[in-house]
Amino acid sequence: MAFGRRSPRSSRHPPALAIVTALLLAFLFSAAASSTDAMHNNNWAVLVCTSRFWFNYRHMANTLSLYRTVKRLGIPDERIILMLADDMACNPRNSYPAQVFNNENHQLNLYGDNVEVDYRGYEVTVENFLRVLTGRHESAVPRSKRVLSDEGSHILLYMTGHGGDEFLKFQDSEELQSHDLADAVKQMKEKHRFKELLIMVDTCQAATLFSQLQSPGVLAIGSSMKGENSYSHHLDSDIGVSVVDRFTYYTLAFFEKLNMYSNASLNSLFTSYNPSMLMSTAYYRMDLYERPLNEVPVTNFFGSVMKTLHTDSAYTGFLAAHDYATPLSVGDNLDDHFMLKDRSTPRRSNIEKEAQLTPHGWTEVLLEQLEGKNTDTVVMYGLGGMGILLALSTWLSM
Amino acid sequence: MAEIAGDEAPTPPPPISGEVSTDPYTSIPASTGSNNPPLRTTKPGVKRLILTASVLLSFLVGLPFLLKSTEIHRSPLPSDAITGLAHRLHSAPPSFPCGLHAVFLRSVPDRSDASLTRRLEQSISAQLQLLPATSTAGNVSVSVTVESAGGCSSSSSSNVDSGWQCGTVTSADLVIGDEVFDELLHSALGSGRGDGSRVYTVVVVEVDDAEGMRVVVGKHRHAWVVGKADEVKAVSVIGKVFAKYFMNGGIEEGEAGIGKGEFMPVGSDGNVVLSFSLLNADPSDWVYDWDFEKIGERMLNPVVEALRPIAEINIESQVLYHTPKSSYSYSDDKLGGNVLSMGDIPFFVNSNEWHLDTSTSATGRSKVLQFVVYIPSARECPLYLQLPDGRLSKTNAFISPMWGGVLIWNPPDCSLDSKKTHGTRKKMSSQELMETIEIFIGQLRQLFGLKPSYLSQDMDMPTKFVVSEKGFTEWELDLLYRHHACSNLLSCLTTLESLSSLVRSLPRMIVMDEIGRQVELSLEAANLAQGNATLGISDSSAVHATRARALAEDAFFHPSIMSISYASIEHYFAIYMPFFAPVSLHVLLAAIKELKRYKAERAKYSAFLASQATSS
Repeated sequence: MAFGRRSPRSSRHPPALAIVTALLLAFLFSAAASSTDAMHNNNWAVLVCTSRFWFNYRHMANTLSLYRTVKRLGIPDERIILMLADDMACNPRNSYPAQVFNNENHQLNLYGDNVEVDYRGYEVTVENFLRVLTGRHESAVPRSKRVLSDEGSHILLYMTGHGGDEFLKFQDSEELQSHDLADAVKQMKEKHRFKELLIMVDTCQAATLFSQLQSPGVLAIGSSMKGENSYSHHLDSDIGVSVVDRFTYYTLAFFEKLNMYSNASLNSLFTSYNPSMLMSTAYYRMDLYERPLNEVPVTNFFGSVMKTLHTDSAYTGFLAAHDYATPLSVGDNLDDHFMLKDRSTPRRSNIEKEAQLTPHGWTEVLLEQLEGKNTDTVVMYGLGGMGILLALSTWLSM
Repeated sequence: MAEIAGDEAPTPPPPISGEVSTDPYTSIPASTGSNNPPLRTTKPGVKRLILTASVLLSFLVGLPFLLKSTEIHRSPLPSDAITGLAHRLHSAPPSFPCGLHAVFLRSVPDRSDASLTRRLEQSISAQLQLLPATSTAGNVSVSVTVESAGGCSSSSSSNVDSGWQCGTVTSADLVIGDEVFDELLHSALGSGRGDGSRVYTVVVVEVDDAEGMRVVVGKHRHAWVVGKADEVKAVSVIGKVFAKYFMNGGIEEGEAGIGKGEFMPVGSDGNVVLSFSLLNADPSDWVYDWDFEKIGERMLNPVVEALRPIAEINIESQVLYHTPKSSYSYSDDKLGGNVLSMGDIPFFVNSNEWHLDTSTSATGRSKVLQFVVYIPSARECPLYLQLPDGRLSKTNAFISPMWGGVLIWNPPDCSLDSKKTHGTRKKMSSQELMETIEIFIGQLRQLFGLKPSYLSQDMDMPTKFVVSEKGFTEWELDLLYRHHACSNLLSCLTTLESLSSLVRSLPRMIVMDEIGRQVELSLEAANLAQGNATLGISDSSAVHATRARALAEDAFFHPSIMSISYASIEHYFAIYMPFFAPVSLHVLLAAIKELKRYKAERAKYSAFLASQATSS
């Protein structure tokens, strides 16, 4: 696997261009130094299940299990993009409606409460997936369907389904190629949409999917290497299909022991996969990742972190300054109400003055007449007058 | 193959190679007789040739139209303008020149002459050289005015003009109070000239009967120092005030603050939504409401106006119920309540139950900052925040950069736990709400990288900071505008460069006109921003830089740039080949065949004419 590629230019004209590239690199480092200093602020998770049809139940269960884990460890729904290509919970072949299990003991209902699926059914396409990663949505797409990450985000990208050599199958009709994924990750890195990215792939020949990645800050693990298949764990005879894949099953077994305060490292996760139990070799590449894996806690990707700073004091004096600038009294609601009215009445009186600028003669007379009278009696008089007029006109027309 | 019909004698069709082959039944040398070589008596017609040739010609004429109509529309991006901007920004990073004007108000009738002012100016400049320079401020030009009872002289070596009129302010005016003196200085300095570089003034007022010095930093662009001191001390204080506050906002070197990426919470389209939420943890205990619409929005309007050059701010508020926290607090009877330590704070925000992100006005690329007031339930009330050194927090509030801030507000009838008030509806009083908003203003300042207030600073002499009703003083706003303008310009440039390299790397990607227009507008705004930066006008530079960045991001994130749907050249051929190849093959072959046939007939006719000529 080619991890580093030298640029073809430098091999042709070594001396002069080396100096130029060195200068350019110096510029880039000085310009990009501020971005590499960005703190880790938040975590995002993009969980994608790409297969449809009832016999691919296990892929849905894989994705939902990981969704549940990530939520339990603290990532909120607003920072999770869940893409499910088919609906197993309400599938007519599901004998347990609205329930999705990942184990034949049916202990855990993955579709229990609080499941928010962002892209469902036919919306899970290669184009939408790449749009989610690169951020190039139509302007009408709501915020809950976008990855709103910034340069301090760590993103977990989990993909499961059917795959092969350098591709992942979407919806039985299209494919995501490894160079498309690498291209999307490159564009994400250019726009500083992540600080670090962890890609987990659970398909056949999974490691080939991230073979073309070149962007720094990316860590990737796949459930099998080129030429190997990934297998399901067990069959649930009650539901009738396999309910979970081996790689995800052992990943979940690792996470069930953790809670959001624990600091198990990524190294312990990656080394917990036993090739004989998985029946394939879980392969990971860390050449693009600078930090050593035993120093990175798994909650850096799977949990939630919030850097907090204490607010030492309020901006004391703001109220006083505000009152000094705009003369208002600090009182209860009634005073505020009066103050508001006072401030708006000069405006209103201006408008009224303009409206009354040209009164007609007869309206003045009318207004004078109506000065001292009660409005209800005036209305009564008016209605009575109208009734009389009506009677008169009908009598005249007959 | 087209059959040759007509009035000629049935001869075998001429072969394609064009040469007359010796046919088995007509193998007669041409010179022997006049009946056997194929002759024709009439001129061969050209109708068929014209027909086939015209069909071929129409195909050939139509080919450029086909190519033009199926070419990829690529709006040309001004990539040389982008590289020009890159050169300019990298060779001369945007820096704002400003001026420092020091005014000495002396009580003693000293002869104030030009040498004194020049000496002071030189010492101040020397002092400024010693202090660390800021990244965004450019050249600082210094000028000094010395005013005393004997007269007023100012140094004229530099052209820093802060509009100071001699004789308007004396040391006797100090008794009117700091805020009023601030306004007096503001009017004396020819308030608010928006053009040209910003000039900061430090006034040194010599008062004889003071012990030590006292510094007051105003809310416009000036500060004053009161006390009795010698020149050297005064010069060092002036330098320190200028460098530490006016240039750096009180943030020391290496401290997390303004200038780092996580303290610029503005969305890439220049919009920020401030979302204020009141959270009732357990409505069965009590339900609180607040009057945010009237009071809050009124108090926040000046702040929104002040920050307008760097962000378009919208304010929303909501009240939520059933929102427990997700970290654990323990009860501490010594401190009289429940206590949360700072280590629990990162887990305080319960994202599963707190549905804060319900904004309808926030678009995809704007930033939402959440300001949350958490009202604890009766079980955990009163809830205090304990700092690492054991003290209780005065504000009960914390922020998370780029996310927002949380304040824990204990309801007033919290400690009367004897009588249970089940679900009574109460309203937060205006006074409490206004105090809460004061804390929120402090948190907003913290989110933008400044200190929430300067009260807890350790300084070597008593310093007071006048508080502004806009939430930020004018010199702090200058600082914010400068930083945001610089960073937006650089980010706009990197976006444009990556867009241009992306477009170049995909030669068959459609580039819509809208993208080209947005890039041009972005470059125009960036040039304006850079021009204003060299002049030192920070607010209009910030406006243009924000606009440039928003347009560049719009262009880069245009939904039509999707790398998978581009037709490679093989794709193009694969589409058009089945239509045109068979037809054009037939037409071409027909035309060639017609031409050859015509030539053969012409040859026959000319042979006939020759034989006629020889026989007659």
